[in-house]
Amino acid sequence: MSAAQRVPAQGLFRTLPAPLTWPRITLSGWWFQLKMQAQSGFLIMTALVQPLIFASIAMADQQAGNRTLPLLYYALGAGIMGIWSTVVFGCGGALSWQRHQGTLEPLVMAPAPLVLVLLGITLGTATVGLYSMSATLFWGWAVFHAHVDIADPGAFCLAALATVVALGLLGLVMGSSFVLYRNSSAISNAIEYPVWLITGLLVPLSLLPGWTHPLAYILAPTWGVQALRSAALGGDPWLPLLWCLVASLGYLLLGVFLVANVERLARQRASLNWQ
Amino acid sequence: MSQLELGLPRRTHHFLRVFFVGGLISYRALFYWITPWMYVPTMLAAPLFQILFFVYLGRSAGVGSMAFFVVGNSIQICSMSGIYGMTMAIANERFFQTLSPLLASPANRVALFLGRGLPVLVSGVQTTVFGFLASALILGFRPPANSLPGLCLTVVVTAASCTGFGMALGSFGLRTRDVFLISNIAYFAMLLICGVEVPLQRLPGVLQGLAQVLPLTHGIAAGRLLAGGGPLSRALPDIGLELLVGAFWATAAFLLFLLFEHEGRRSGAFDRL
Repeated sequence: MSAAQRVPAQGLFRTLPAPLTWPRITLSGWWFQLKMQAQSGFLIMTALVQPLIFASIAMADQQAGNRTLPLLYYALGAGIMGIWSTVVFGCGGALSWQRHQGTLEPLVMAPAPLVLVLLGITLGTATVGLYSMSATLFWGWAVFHAHVDIADPGAFCLAALATVVALGLLGLVMGSSFVLYRNSSAISNAIEYPVWLITGLLVPLSLLPGWTHPLAYILAPTWGVQALRSAALGGDPWLPLLWCLVASLGYLLLGVFLVANVERLARQRASLNWQ
Repeated sequence: MSQLELGLPRRTHHFLRVFFVGGLISYRALFYWITPWMYVPTMLAAPLFQILFFVYLGRSAGVGSMAFFVVGNSIQICSMSGIYGMTMAIANERFFQTLSPLLASPANRVALFLGRGLPVLVSGVQTTVFGFLASALILGFRPPANSLPGLCLTVVVTAASCTGFGMALGSFGLRTRDVFLISNIAYFAMLLICGVEVPLQRLPGVLQGLAQVLPLTHGIAAGRLLAGGGPLSRALPDIGLELLVGAFWATAAFLLFLLFEHEGRRSGAFDRL
């Protein structure tokens, strides 16, 4: 497209009322982040290699053990584990990384709402996690001969989409709160395993102590994996899907509140470039 | 106390100074996770949750006993310090652009290299001891009292072996751009291959063969034997093999270090990121 053709298009967008440009800002951020993350060795390791190793461990243990949960149960759980890891490491450090790169100041200064810019980043990162889901399903089928017969493909795709959105929004909450903590990667390291455990990704919730259940209910991976398993193995995916959406809405509201506060505090303290 | 008072020849004194003092300084300067804010979540909390996660996974699959997973994971977590610590201790010299001055110095390379391993080894042992203590408190893990000296020996040897392996991975940091990717893959792959979470005999033959030359495999086997009430004499062959594997990787690491130093001098690429 030539420069002459692009000028009217830009003008058109400028005349739009602000809320109408919000989807474009989020979508551009999402696509840009997706392209960047797809080339990150660390994210590929987190989204691809690590879930395959955990899926292999879980499926090998299942085959060696005396319980009869289907292999697909573990493949799906390991897939969500991969999405969670990308969210924890990718979104948890999103703002800190922008600050480290020196791009946080221009982002805050830009007329676009910061929360939308961040939303694009966190949704893009969570989308990369879909690698995990595809990889663990393929791995389970090819190496462990798991039966990958999805009972309700439509509901399954919807559940996968809802899970990615919910985790992206949870990433928004983490990204905006971790920025106040200098060693955000330490929190990411510490919360990876606990969330894998208490949300029932590989271990059924019924085996865990009762006091962990309320924690599980406020975390989207719990509902996401339940919706996916119900859609894949046969069951009612709609109730967990609904809870996944409710959790997403909660994360969105909390994220908007936190980002606004972090932005205000950072401007007051002049700490946008603080390392 | 001066070197004359110690009665040490000048060269030995320099060697020991680079080994102990240099090793400690490099650990303090290059080990990212040394501050309590990083150390507690990364080196204590994450390993503890790892132990709990796999104990519950074992229960849900109905495989192995609680002790199988506690011993396997508690010993395995020492590799976090060995692998990542050594990678940082070597590769970060390049990242912080201090590799050229370091290699321009006349310091003994063996002392320079091995000295960095000692604090990392101690940190690895510390993590494993914490893992066992936390498992005793939370999960009620109780190895026989007479197995404790043997378990301590096993843990020290395994931590040393992992440090040797970490040195080899870290050496690649003198040449490759993203050595932490290699370390990450190695760390997680060892969970699967070395019999930490899955009984070794359940793995395909190729992986079983690979496990024999990797650290952890023999150390964990010895640890499980001792924790199960077996005598130290029966665990000694595995402990010896673990030591041998560690020595092999440390030697390979040193040779790689020399090779990459030579290559770096030739191409002038020490600090090129």
